[in-house]
Amino acid sequence: MNLAWKEVKKNKLRFLILGSIIFLISLLTFIISGLANGLSQDNAALVKDLPDGQFYMNADADETYNLSRIDRHIQEKLLTSQKDVAALSIQMGFLNDKNDKQQSVAFVTSTESKMFENVKPGEIILDRSMEDKGIKAGDILTNNQFSGEFMVKGFVDQKKFSHAPVAFIHIENYKEMYRVGEMQLIFVPGQDKAQEADGLQSFSKKEFLDTIPSYNAEQMSLNMIVWFLVVISGMLFAIFFYMMNVQKIALYGILKAIGLKTSALFKMMWTQMLFITGIALGLSAALIQGFNMFAPEEIPFRLTIETISLLSMVFFIIGFIGATLSGVQIKKIEPLQAIQQGEV
Amino acid sequence: MEFFTVNELKKAFTNGEVKEEILKGINLSLKKGEMTALVGASGSGKSTLLTIAAGLQPASDGQILFEGKNINTMNQEQIRKIRASKFGFVFQFAHLVPFLTVEEQLMLMLDVSESRLNKHEQKSEVNRILKLVGMDHRKTAYPSSLSGGEKQRVAFARAIIHQPMVLFADEPTASLDSKRSKEIMSLIRDLTKNLNITTLMVTHDEEMLPYTDRIIKMSDGLILQNFEPQAKS
Repeated sequence: MNLAWKEVKKNKLRFLILGSIIFLISLLTFIISGLANGLSQDNAALVKDLPDGQFYMNADADETYNLSRIDRHIQEKLLTSQKDVAALSIQMGFLNDKNDKQQSVAFVTSTESKMFENVKPGEIILDRSMEDKGIKAGDILTNNQFSGEFMVKGFVDQKKFSHAPVAFIHIENYKEMYRVGEMQLIFVPGQDKAQEADGLQSFSKKEFLDTIPSYNAEQMSLNMIVWFLVVISGMLFAIFFYMMNVQKIALYGILKAIGLKTSALFKMMWTQMLFITGIALGLSAALIQGFNMFAPEEIPFRLTIETISLLSMVFFIIGFIGATLSGVQIKKIEPLQAIQQGEV
Repeated sequence: MEFFTVNELKKAFTNGEVKEEILKGINLSLKKGEMTALVGASGSGKSTLLTIAAGLQPASDGQILFEGKNINTMNQEQIRKIRASKFGFVFQFAHLVPFLTVEEQLMLMLDVSESRLNKHEQKSEVNRILKLVGMDHRKTAYPSSLSGGEKQRVAFARAIIHQPMVLFADEPTASLDSKRSKEIMSLIRDLTKNLNITTLMVTHDEEMLPYTDRIIKMSDGLILQNFEPQAKS
């Protein structure tokens, strides 16, 4: 007999309350997680979308990419050591549009590479978000530090750095603007372990992301909220089932006295937990997918099915642990005590 | 025929440094189909004897022989199986499952006892037993809508639906008024006789004694008297 379902059916309100709380917490977790991912993408899509590999910067740069100046001889050595290696530089700056309105961008230049957009001198390729600011292909843009003009060659999707749209420019234009001859970084794709290079410090993709000002602090805060919510939901399960179990000690004792197995009582509790969590997560996942599709462009929200599935799994596991912990008392219940306790 | 025997049963509790002997060497036998009442003052040990005999708590020493096997040396799972399939229980309160209907309470007991009946046969058996206890008209009702007497009838039906060999009843009429108590006692007596179920019952109520076949009077952890009542209703 499905005792779990019979109890849920008879005590709809009680389980609806728990389900609603789990629904709200999971929805909030999905929202915060989506924002964390979205902000992360907004902050560093340029780096995150690169293949796995190693970044190198000057060892004296104090782990700050824009203080790095890589010696040309070392750069040449690394560029020729492996296929697809690229040297690149990034600087935050401004572009003036045809109305002389300043637009904040991250100027990126690189040596010939398939991983970065390559343009001719005087050309510029922008992140597509600049289209929303009224900039079109063929428009002429200027920069106070650049003597010439940039002609917009086109747009690329999801290329952001430090919350600013990326602007790919030619290496010669970059050198003129920032009066530097050396590149800041070298990226070696497909490398799991860093190779020894004189005067250079290596960083994995994740380590390099952490050197971006604000990235680490922003992500840590949001992820802390996400995991805090997950832990809270686990505690909620434990507390809710504990309260329910305390109310049912006499009942459980009688059921044990007439011969019901303790494992059957645990199964009843687990079934209820899975049922409530399943429905709550299903609803919040559906709602968040809807939000994902219709959310305004201004909100940096990005939540993949993989992340939803992962968080849902965590919710199930933590709910299971919470319910099981509260169920320890079921194991301890002596039928005799329950009988002496009086009516259920 | 004696098939349930208690030999030199002792039970002691240690309360701090004081050792308290509740049962001091009980010997008794239950005959098939016989209804035995345990009576005595509070603290005489009658409820302790009933719960030990039913496998709900262990004895300190002695034997409880049921079908030739000593329950006192069995593990928890072995005792649970006996409780589920061969014993039935009625307590002072009905202790019905609040989220199950009357019919479901009995179906649950058939599940617990691992009944070999198929679903259709189980339903027929539930209907038959509910008719016997006069509750067939309330089979879809939940316990919250039943009166005290009705609840106790359902609890009794649950205790016998799986045709146990022994029924343990711990003050089954204590929560009922005099009229309802007599109805329930009459019901228990008639049905256990018809189904040949042996009954061991604890009661404080002397009005219930005429319904029994044997009375065991206890005092201070010992059996004082073991006799047949004078009159039966």
